[in-house]
Amino acid sequence: MSKKTTAFKIRDILFITMMILPILAGILLKVLFIPASDGISITGAHVFFTIDFPIQPLIISEAQVNSWLVIISLFFFCLFMTNGIKAGIHTKRQVLAEWMVESVENLVKSNMGEYFIGFAPFVAAIMALSAFSSLLSLTGLFPPTSDLNIVAGWALLVFFLITYYKMKCGPLHYLKSFGEPVPFLAPLNIISEVATPVSMAFRHYGNILSGSVISVLVASALQGLTHLLMGKLPGWLGEFPFLRIGIPAVLSIYFDVFSGLLQAFIFAMLTMLYIGGAFALEDYLAIQAKKKKTRTKINT
Amino acid sequence: MQTLDIISVNIWQIIISLSNLVILFLLVKKFLFKPVKSMIAKREEAAAAELKAAEEIKKEAIREKMAWDEKMAAADDEADEIIKQAVVKANKKSGVIINTATERADEIIKLAKFEANLEHKAAEEGIKREIVDLSSALTGKLLSREINPEDHSELIDEFINEIGEIS
Repeated sequence: MSKKTTAFKIRDILFITMMILPILAGILLKVLFIPASDGISITGAHVFFTIDFPIQPLIISEAQVNSWLVIISLFFFCLFMTNGIKAGIHTKRQVLAEWMVESVENLVKSNMGEYFIGFAPFVAAIMALSAFSSLLSLTGLFPPTSDLNIVAGWALLVFFLITYYKMKCGPLHYLKSFGEPVPFLAPLNIISEVATPVSMAFRHYGNILSGSVISVLVASALQGLTHLLMGKLPGWLGEFPFLRIGIPAVLSIYFDVFSGLLQAFIFAMLTMLYIGGAFALEDYLAIQAKKKKTRTKINT
Repeated sequence: MQTLDIISVNIWQIIISLSNLVILFLLVKKFLFKPVKSMIAKREEAAAAELKAAEEIKKEAIREKMAWDEKMAAADDEADEIIKQAVVKANKKSGVIINTATERADEIIKLAKFEANLEHKAAEEGIKREIVDLSSALTGKLLSREINPEDHSELIDEFINEIGEIS
């Protein structure tokens, strides 16, 4: 293995700090600007400021800022993974980077087919953003995925992509697809078309939010239980919530880590399946072939 | 300072989030997928080149080996041929040498015989001459004492003939 150069090391250190710095900045922002809620309450994202915009005011909320922080962190993570990448030399990091890229590509290939291989970075981006947004709750920050607007934005983008790929065979083909298998089912088809992004957004958002809601409820229930069991103890011993030690952490592993990663995976899978299913590759190729034929006919 | 409702829909927030995802997609594509894929492509290229080179070298080696085998087989034959030729040549040469040797020997013998003959003849002549001289001297002496050739001619002839018979 070649000796690591100083520039390489400096870049490494820079990238790692830039990965961690956004999270620290988020925590700092929260400490400075958001008043600690007394007691147990379930609220949405904190609003930093609002700007007057047409239709609706533009709101810069905690969820928005946190998702930016996640993006910055991920950007530097990418730079860190590909730092000093070379064809010949094998470092653990390089193998890991290769594994990430290839596993996402294999996932895309097996779910969407060879034609959609360009979607691999998109799927990777969705997965990473969703997973790390959910995992942000481990640091005590507001997870952006438990804000409906954030997830709705992603779902809307997926909906645009679905529609684009349905339109690719021509608008007529797209309209015809609503009349299948029988024309009078068209209203249902339209509803299901619209339901796709809505269901995706609400599924993801609801899972993450419900996790935090349940965490809060369990925490408050445990406090009540301790008070009931040990309230008779003298002094501060009676006040101290013993049962809140440890038990919420175990629940947090499920609701924050497992559920967050699972929802990220589900969202990415649904994206792949919907977009892959929206595009009739055979029809498209047939149309292209026909076009080519007519073109050559005109030329000759 | 206020917080949003748990379920709130804000079109601008949705658009911002949408563009966030697009931006992250571009970042991931540019900074993770592109370098890794180009690296993989480069490595595959290098591996393919190496394999090709190895194949070529193998082919070359097999070709060389076959040539060597052929050469080895040919060399055995050649060695046999050379030995045969050498034997034949040696035989020929020895025959020639022996022939010349015998010829020379014959010649020498002939020459010796001839010389011996010559010497013999010369000696004979010499002896004859000496005898003649001697006899003539003798006769001279005899004659000078009593010269009467008519009386003694018969005796002299007899004498000479006798000598000739001896020689």
